[in-house]
Amino acid sequence: MNENFDIYEVFSQKNQSSSFAHQFSLLAPNAEIALVMARENFLRRDQCINIWVVKRDQIHMTSPEERGNLERLDNKSYRETKGYGDLQARWRKHKEAYESKQQPNVREAGER
Amino acid sequence: MQAEMNQSGLTQTISAETINDQQSDKMEAFLSRIDRGERIEADDWMPDDYRQQLIKLITMHGISEIMGALPEKEWVPKAPTLRRKLAIMAKVQDEMGHGQLLLRVAEDLMAPLGKSREDIMQDLFTGRLKFHNVFHMEAPTWADAGVIGWLVDGAAIITQTMSLDSSYAPYGRALQRICAEEKFHAQHGESIVLELAEGTDAQRQMLQEAITRWWPSLLMFFGPPENGGITSNQQLNMRYKIRTQTNEELRQAFLTKYVPRIFHLGFTLPDETIHFDEESKMWVYQQPNWEEFKQIVKGNGPRSAHRLNLREMSYEETKWVRDAILAYGRKVG
Amino acid sequence: MVQFLQVDSAQKAQENPEYKAALTELLFQLADDDFILAYRGSEWLGLAPHIEEDVAFSSMSQDMMGHAVMHYELLDELGLGKADDLAQLRKPEEFRNVILAERKNGSGEYNDAPKYDWAYAIARHFVYGSIKQVKLEALRESSYQKLSFVSRKMLTEHRYHMMHWQVWMKQLANSTDDAKQKLEAALEKVWVDAGELFSYGKQAATIVGFGIVASEESLREKWYASMQQKFTEIGLNWPGDLGIPAESGRDGQHTPDLANALQTLSEVYVLDPQASW
Repeated sequence: MNENFDIYEVFSQKNQSSSFAHQFSLLAPNAEIALVMARENFLRRDQCINIWVVKRDQIHMTSPEERGNLERLDNKSYRETKGYGDLQARWRKHKEAYESKQQPNVREAGER
Repeated sequence: MQAEMNQSGLTQTISAETINDQQSDKMEAFLSRIDRGERIEADDWMPDDYRQQLIKLITMHGISEIMGALPEKEWVPKAPTLRRKLAIMAKVQDEMGHGQLLLRVAEDLMAPLGKSREDIMQDLFTGRLKFHNVFHMEAPTWADAGVIGWLVDGAAIITQTMSLDSSYAPYGRALQRICAEEKFHAQHGESIVLELAEGTDAQRQMLQEAITRWWPSLLMFFGPPENGGITSNQQLNMRYKIRTQTNEELRQAFLTKYVPRIFHLGFTLPDETIHFDEESKMWVYQQPNWEEFKQIVKGNGPRSAHRLNLREMSYEETKWVRDAILAYGRKVG
Repeated sequence: MVQFLQVDSAQKAQENPEYKAALTELLFQLADDDFILAYRGSEWLGLAPHIEEDVAFSSMSQDMMGHAVMHYELLDELGLGKADDLAQLRKPEEFRNVILAERKNGSGEYNDAPKYDWAYAIARHFVYGSIKQVKLEALRESSYQKLSFVSRKMLTEHRYHMMHWQVWMKQLANSTDDAKQKLEAALEKVWVDAGELFSYGKQAATIVGFGIVASEESLREKWYASMQQKFTEIGLNWPGDLGIPAESGRDGQHTPDLANALQTLSEVYVLDPQASW
């Protein structure tokens, strides 16, 4: 065979709260046939509410050499929750300080 | 494939040294990635022999799934209840689906060599591409369908689970989907077998005969024992972390899981010597005829020619369909 | 007469012997049609033109057999016997399926030199499916509420199948000359049998009279209108009126193809129908 079917990547969405996720790829002569075969090939037991098929050569991807550059330094705590782990303890300190100031007054008031 | 490799060999002679240096750098980086436990993707650089090993392994695995659909398919309409007809239809469909996943993985590996699914099919028809010994065998009764589901799939689960950690990421991903479905297949097989085992004398006899019939094939499924001498082929697979266990290790795991169960049901094996040796912690069993194994895998099994013929005939009969939908795509764009 | 009749349980249906007989007749037709064609579909397992299509096609055969099971179970509730017995122990002359469903996929046997015709598979499933669709739509209003309920459930699955067959019809019809010829020849073959799908057999008058399903004529009219439009869209010539085969499947007359199919389908079960399988 000189001519071959094309590779289509299949994506599906489980429910309206979920994003599309990649499933697998299949061979098909055109998008329409790819679409009518997609669910039964990869979602025979899983639920889905929508399917995309994308011809693989239409996908632009990071090259293997560039993939290593996607890694970044682990010094960005300022934009992550873990960079603000001290907040709770500080709030607690303020609350405790406040309450300890209040309590003697309350006691004094009661004694009076 | 040979032709292409020779060709690229020719063009490389010009500056062989520089290229060799580059290649060895790449090779070193590749091996250290594997040693770090990283996984290789389809478009990553990989040594030729890694690619070749994977192609050989995965095309054989994939085409075995597809050829494996045929003996079970014989039992799809004949399954004795409506529920079983549906279950076995779903199971054979899954096998075809597993073939699809694996062939896709193999096709991506073959693409740089200018090969496609069509070449895989042609290799199958000419006998260049082998498939698992078990799918060359006859399945003459309904109990055979049960034994295939329970024990052949059981054997497959053991080898596939090992390969989940394969250094080749796309193979691992395909196997993850496959292993999830194999759980259903194992239950399907166990359910058929238990029904027969708990049934009438005739049903039990049918099952006993099937177990006896399949026993040598099940032992053969894992390939000949290494007996201390590991082939260069296996060494390569282990170095590249394509597989991590030997044939014998896998067979021992199979025996540990299934021999007791066969005995629990009150059935016998056609091997009076089989026992677990406490000292060596190994199963001792009578070897199947490995010469026969070679013949079967070569395509001289009892149903090899028939099933290959069935597959080839249906492929040729439907060529016009593939041509037609391809032409439609070209027209419509 | 009984236009607003509503039968909401198997017990109520059994209280009226005439109603039960009519309902039973129709249920056997629906069950047997799907059961036998699903079997024909399942014979394609492992032999379809393309691996991905093989997988997709099998789901539709499973779904169709699932529909047959739902109908057999309704018969079971009406006291006709276990679903497994109904599917596997009746004689060919007790089957009510149309001849179109029982025709072989081509020459040869599924395990012995099958020369299966994909064009016939597509044309048959498409035409059968389109008539099943108008029938299911009508059955939503059935006086037998359980039938109305299962028909509604089946429709979603069935529409998904129709999408599949329609894509195939369109693509084969507009691809190569060879494929178009094969498709037209297959349609011709389907056409001479398909008229029987509109028949409710000898009990048609009571079936329709009790409001179990709309009349044969009303279904036929709906189908012709929508089908002619579809043929135009696809770019196929309209083959004219549907034919009726020589044997009347609805009356239990069948070709040897059915007897062969039933023999295969029941081969294991008849070894011991009392045993648990």
